[in-house]
Amino acid sequence: MSSAFLDRQSTAAEPGFNRFLVPPAALAVHLSIGQVYAFSTFNLPLSKLIGLTQTAPGDWNLKELGWIFSIAIVFLGSSAAVFGRWVERVGPRKSMFAAALCFGGGFLVSAVGIHLHQLWIIYLGYGVLGGCGLGIGYISPVSTLIKWFPDRPGMATGMAIMGFGGGALIAAPLSVLLMAHFKTATSNGVLETFVTMGVIYFMFMMIGVISVRVPADGWKPAGWTAPAQPKKLVTTANVAVEAAWRTRQFWLLWVVLCMNVTAGIGVLGQASPMIQEMFPGRVLPLAAASFVGLISLFNMGGRFVWATMSDYIGRRDTYMVFFVLGIVLYATVPTTGHLGSIPLFVAAFCVILSMYGGGFATIPAYLRDMFGTYQVGAIHGRLLTAWSVAGVLGPVLVNYIRQYQIDNGVPKAQAYSITMYIMCGLLLIGFLCNYAMRAVNEKYHYRVPTTAERVPS
Amino acid sequence: MKLRLAVLWIAVGIPLAWGVFKTLQNALKLFQ
Repeated sequence: MSSAFLDRQSTAAEPGFNRFLVPPAALAVHLSIGQVYAFSTFNLPLSKLIGLTQTAPGDWNLKELGWIFSIAIVFLGSSAAVFGRWVERVGPRKSMFAAALCFGGGFLVSAVGIHLHQLWIIYLGYGVLGGCGLGIGYISPVSTLIKWFPDRPGMATGMAIMGFGGGALIAAPLSVLLMAHFKTATSNGVLETFVTMGVIYFMFMMIGVISVRVPADGWKPAGWTAPAQPKKLVTTANVAVEAAWRTRQFWLLWVVLCMNVTAGIGVLGQASPMIQEMFPGRVLPLAAASFVGLISLFNMGGRFVWATMSDYIGRRDTYMVFFVLGIVLYATVPTTGHLGSIPLFVAAFCVILSMYGGGFATIPAYLRDMFGTYQVGAIHGRLLTAWSVAGVLGPVLVNYIRQYQIDNGVPKAQAYSITMYIMCGLLLIGFLCNYAMRAVNEKYHYRVPTTAERVPS
Repeated sequence: MKLRLAVLWIAVGIPLAWGVFKTLQNALKLFQ
């Protein structure tokens, strides 16, 4: 691939370019990297590489395999933070290409690890290399979409980030299908599946690489003019990433995202055992798996719906809804367990998970409102470290508190009550941080240096 | 441009629709 083709200059849109060509380019990347949410599909087959039908001596255990996902998520957050400025500088095409190489390459390197039965190679392949692909791929289309859709930034970024939720819905059945296809008497098909998925995802992400375009400087949608009276928390100025990092608003948003994600991610990881334990004998494993699928759908749909709604009601108010409604719903969950009402329990978690997804999808537009479009992708990258923290905090809170309760004689059906109230507390912290949000002080605004400043006399 | 738009949306829409369909198909078991 020619280096010039990947340059930002080659990505400039031709006159008359239809901006609705950009969201599918972003979706091609996000639908691919969203596979990470379905990685657990591989855990069981990876634990039976030697034994095939059951775990044999020398096979990896689930605890060791669980680290692959964790490493990938940690590298997602850290690579987004580290490479954010590079992504802004080189533009979406080169960064999407790098993401495709890393993510597709991560699968291929992992396939070598499976072949040699060396877990550290998989940690390095899918975890580190794939994780970097996740981080770079996640932020690469964000600022481009915001520039193409100044009138509806929430909808545009919501559409792309919806793809990240939707990626798992595709990857889970695809992985099962491929493993069944490649299964033989001597192999469970996981090695071949990794190679195939690496190639498929690389090619699918290339659709985004080829079709993405950046708008010309100062481009505006036909017939649209920026509001003469900007809304209270929507800036017309810009803040550079290094200045944004030092503002109170960045850290308030960091906590807002971290609290919203912590509350959702802990539940998402424990959804299947939770519904089975809260309704013992009434919800069997198959139905529990269906419940996980259902909340994944709401996680995906919420990304588009809530982010689009934020264009109308404002970013701060959207998060207010997440926190207030979240507190009410989490507080209701133990009652649904006492009442034995499965439909109420399912409904509560469907809404909670829609707001978890909505939180991810609304944050880029919130950042744009607070810091402008100048380096919004890079700022978004740094904010995603909140996700890495929440990715550890959420599951730890749910799992450890549940275990502590059970160890102290609390019946399994009631072991989640305290956790739910703690989630309410976390959401309250998020609510207060969101409530404290004010416009960024002018001293942080970016201004283009004048000639006199650039050339000292 | 319209053809390009349709091809691109179909390229991302089909796998997404398939994933949603498979998930819904499984989710229905919860209500059976």
